[in-house]
Amino acid sequence: MRAYWQLTLSQLRIFLRNRQVLFWTLAFPLFLMVILGSFLGNGNGISLTIGVVDQDQSFQSKEFLTTLIENKALTVQIEKSENKALNKLKKDDLQLVVVIPKGYGASLSRPPAKNAPYLLPVYFNETNIAVTQVGLQVVNNLVDGISKEKLDYHPVVVMDMKGVETLNLKYIDFLIPGIVAMMIMSNNMNGVAGQIAAWRERGILRRMQGTTLKASTFIAAQITARLVLNGMQALIVLGVGHLIFGVEVRGSWFTLISFVILGILAFMAIGFIIAGIAKTPESAAPIAGFLSFPMLFLGGVFFPIKNMPEFLQPIIQILPIAHLSHALRETMNVGASFMSLGTEALILGGWLVGAFIIASFTFKWE
Amino acid sequence: MDSQEEIIRVINLVKTYGDFTAVKGVEFQVHKGEVFGLLGPNGAGKTTTLEMLVGLRKPDQGTAIVGGFDITKELKKVKEVIGVQLQSTSLFELLTVEEILHLYASFYPKQVSIPSLIEEMLLAEKRKSRIKSLSGGQKQRLAIALALVHDPWIIFLDEPTTGLDPQARRTLWDIILQLKKQGKTIVLTTHYMDEAHVLCDRIAIMNQGELIALDTPSQLVKNLQSDSAVEFRFQNESSEVELHEIEGVTKVGNQKDVFVLYTDDLQLTLTSLIHMASDKQLKLTDLQTRTATLEDVFLHMTGRRLREG
Repeated sequence: MRAYWQLTLSQLRIFLRNRQVLFWTLAFPLFLMVILGSFLGNGNGISLTIGVVDQDQSFQSKEFLTTLIENKALTVQIEKSENKALNKLKKDDLQLVVVIPKGYGASLSRPPAKNAPYLLPVYFNETNIAVTQVGLQVVNNLVDGISKEKLDYHPVVVMDMKGVETLNLKYIDFLIPGIVAMMIMSNNMNGVAGQIAAWRERGILRRMQGTTLKASTFIAAQITARLVLNGMQALIVLGVGHLIFGVEVRGSWFTLISFVILGILAFMAIGFIIAGIAKTPESAAPIAGFLSFPMLFLGGVFFPIKNMPEFLQPIIQILPIAHLSHALRETMNVGASFMSLGTEALILGGWLVGAFIIASFTFKWE
Repeated sequence: MDSQEEIIRVINLVKTYGDFTAVKGVEFQVHKGEVFGLLGPNGAGKTTTLEMLVGLRKPDQGTAIVGGFDITKELKKVKEVIGVQLQSTSLFELLTVEEILHLYASFYPKQVSIPSLIEEMLLAEKRKSRIKSLSGGQKQRLAIALALVHDPWIIFLDEPTTGLDPQARRTLWDIILQLKKQGKTIVLTTHYMDEAHVLCDRIAIMNQGELIALDTPSQLVKNLQSDSAVEFRFQNESSEVELHEIEGVTKVGNQKDVFVLYTDDLQLTLTSLIHMASDKQLKLTDLQTRTATLEDVFLHMTGRRLREG
């Protein structure tokens, strides 16, 4: 037992004294979070700027313009010439252009006739369909309103709008659990593999083998020290995410911490396997990289898994990182309980047990 | 030495790596309280033998009884009574001297006082320094201190002075002799002859996996049956000389173009050599005479020098 505490303490001292490693293993996730969070984090609304060319200059056209301006969904920009407005539309400076032709007012003042309704030209950019659709909808509603008003129309049925408060999730909410998962993966898988392989090469493990120290004590201490260190790092990333981007943990901290621990253990076990396979510390890094790089992009760290190609889905579904990031995300964003994340817990647990069994066969002191 | 009580008995130890047999059935005993030297050139099998005795390698055949325990059956007990310093071990560079001693002490049920151990190993000033900042000699003394934290009876030192400067080597010799005074048994490997001569009570010479001689240093030299050596080279390469015919020569050795004549009668051999050289019009260079040493014993027995190149 004394050996276990001494080894844990020594390992923590080594971590804390290795300033550079400590700094960069934290700096990278924080840097990623701040950069990606600032650029992509707030892109949740569509801004609509609509250009209006009033060729009529009548009372009715002014009235139309006022209605447009009053609509909060739109930014209205008054344009003098139709040509200039259309050029801006092509450059995407304007999303829609409404032209009020001469004779608009006169046409509306006439008593409603049986003839066709007045045609109001609205130009839009065909390449930017999503925004255009929203814009056209808004303008359509306005025009509809004007027509109804002119006809002295009384609606028979109206909608009773009841907004339901949904989770206002931004990209940063998606990103931070992913970054925590990424950090857990790289620090443990790459970290353990590199360190154990280096210690073996330098004969540090061999020297310990010459004592009465048991391998299980050594490994238990390794695990404890890494749990402490990585737990702290995860807390720092979450803390920064909360302070800067207001990301919250909606689920229980117990669930979150359970998954952080499960993730650390599973990836550490994989790290021990790599350390066993790698003949030199130089080969440990590429092997770990070979495994971690695809996991970063496929495992739902930066991009949602459902956006991945169909043929990759079965592979993605067994990756430990996919389940770790998903479980962290569900816990933080939606507030899922531990019980509802049973599948994720089981798969991560499976990786943990399987990897430790393989690791115990491949582990070598020298 | 007086009691001749046996503390290590090595029985027919064999280790093979694929086709290569590194240790070929070595047998010897080590007495309690002695400094026992395993000597040999690189690849002689001395490190492999030592590593089997401390449990780092499993013997393919044979066994050894170390401190009363069988290394193939009671390794944990063996490890409690032995202390090990391995060749070129590196340690956790970021820990301090004191911290690593406490760490290693925690691996054992029994331990000595660490402050006094630091004192004995002349590391008091470096107590709180990181291992990274230690000199080669200090690191080696720390490695020995680590071998002593649990107060073992037997201490195994694998090439403890290799790579150290002369001053650091002498400091280490003092420490080893001090340990002997405390009653520890020490088994060390070395390829320095002078070191073996100063430190060891008995020496086992190994070559190509076999034990070829085992005796006290002075007896080994005596067995050479020649107390002097004459070394020289010929300026023009001419090895077609029958050096055995020179008077008084008991043995002839050579290493590249250097010839060594061993003799009991230095004067007779020298005059005869010079006479022969002038007869055959050969020019002698780098001529020197000296007393025969362990180095010569080795050269004679194996045809190789201990440290080649």
